[in-house]
Amino acid sequence: MNILRSEFLKLISVRTTWLLLGAMILIEGAVAGLLAGLGEKKDLRPANVPDLLIGTPLSILFVFTLGALISTNEFRHGTANSTFLITPRRERVIAAKLVVGFVVGLVAALEYIAVNAGLGLSILSSRDVTVNSDQAVDIYLGVGIGFILICLFGVALGAVVRNQVAAIVGGLALFLALRGTLTLFIGDEVGRYFPAESLLGLQGNPKGKALLLDQVDGGLVLAGYCLALTIAGIFVTRNREIT
Amino acid sequence: MPELSVERLVKRYGQTLAVDDLSFTVDSGVVTGFLGPNGSGKSTTMRALLGLVRPTSGRALVLGKPFYELTHPVRSVGASLDAKDVHPGRSGRSHLRTLAAAAGLPSSRVDEVLDMTELTPARDRRVKGYSMGMRQRLALAAALLGDPRILMLDEPANGLDPQGMRWLRDILRALASEGRAVLISSHVLSEVEQTVDQVVVIGAGRLVMQGSLADLVTRDQRPSLVRSPRASELRELLEASGASVSADGRPDTLLVHHATTEQIGTLAAEHGIALFELTRSVGTLEDRFLELTGEGGHVR
Repeated sequence: MNILRSEFLKLISVRTTWLLLGAMILIEGAVAGLLAGLGEKKDLRPANVPDLLIGTPLSILFVFTLGALISTNEFRHGTANSTFLITPRRERVIAAKLVVGFVVGLVAALEYIAVNAGLGLSILSSRDVTVNSDQAVDIYLGVGIGFILICLFGVALGAVVRNQVAAIVGGLALFLALRGTLTLFIGDEVGRYFPAESLLGLQGNPKGKALLLDQVDGGLVLAGYCLALTIAGIFVTRNREIT
Repeated sequence: MPELSVERLVKRYGQTLAVDDLSFTVDSGVVTGFLGPNGSGKSTTMRALLGLVRPTSGRALVLGKPFYELTHPVRSVGASLDAKDVHPGRSGRSHLRTLAAAAGLPSSRVDEVLDMTELTPARDRRVKGYSMGMRQRLALAAALLGDPRILMLDEPANGLDPQGMRWLRDILRALASEGRAVLISSHVLSEVEQTVDQVVVIGAGRLVMQGSLADLVTRDQRPSLVRSPRASELRELLEASGASVSADGRPDTLLVHHATTEQIGTLAAEHGIALFELTRSVGTLEDRFLELTGEGGHVR
């Protein structure tokens, strides 16, 4: 529990955490407000509503970045020395960081749902646009769980790749820049198991792509990536020389 | 049992031999200076003692055990490896609180070490606004959190002004007088020569000497300079007494090895030889240190 308390203190004692969470609220709010409030009502067909519910991929980047910072800040600022001196069993440090990552992902998910539902759905409702509530719940669950998994993905990737820039740029490439690109070459059959594509599946496949995983499978595949990265992270961290 | 023991430690990074068959011990109640030029293996040795790097061969033990086997690492060893190892966005106090929390120590201990290191007025300022001296104090505060019996500080005097150096000297001496083992590294002997009791000198990863600071001086082989109008006569007398003598280019001046200034002066007086000058060659402990560890301070 001591290490867990320490890791939470580390998280809340730097401004970046609050800036990223704050920026998420602003961006989610702006996107939900603009999508729901602007444009002709005839364009707000039920088929477009899921796009609004899913929000912006930028939030994914923010959540991933927060996760990666939880791990890579230790090496970026050299605090790994004191962290591992106080807690020589390094796997405990990783475990505590994963718990913190889970909580950050959960907070981000709740923040997103609050903003998206509170603002976007209210505007839609005021404009008499019908929203399928079952679909909305599924999407919110998928996106929320996606946030948690993406944050864990960031923590675990940061445990493997200690260079902060490399870890964050890698995540950015994986989840934004390369999303959909690799599948063009490899094909949807295999491509749907990639992290970004499995995340899309988990979020509810809003575009109705034929070859995306369903929500449960998408979540399981993404969780599998997190688990594999965590195992690799523990192995690498235990054997890493802190120079 | 020594507080710290390094036994035939070898650490190799690829083709680079960072530490080469190094052995020494550190005892309680004294300040030990771990001296050597930059790149001589001091930090690597300290990291091996702290379990942060794995020895290629040999052992680096704290209280007779590898670091990771210590029951209470924070109460056993407090270490600072680099004063820059702090998130610049945190305040000094919140940095220490993260460490205290991990160690299961109360926040009141954070305030105590801030007080000990005279950082209380700056405790809520973000570390990026700290001077190097303040960062050194913060690093020492972090090392003191667990009230450890061993303190290990890598280049703690780096960046300190003369006032800060005096403060560091006083606090380290006080900590050692409480029975703690204190190991401080430096590549500049003058930084620590007024602080340390014992020295471990290394060069190119190998032990050059371990002993008291006095040993470092005693083993000094620097010549004495003698100026006399009867230099050649004195030279014969000195050589007959076992000293070795060389000229320094001036006809009235000799450089005398293996004889103290007292011996030289007495010999000259016994033979009625006037001396115009008799001095230990200009040189300091620093020169001796450089002689031992390699000229220029950079072994590699």
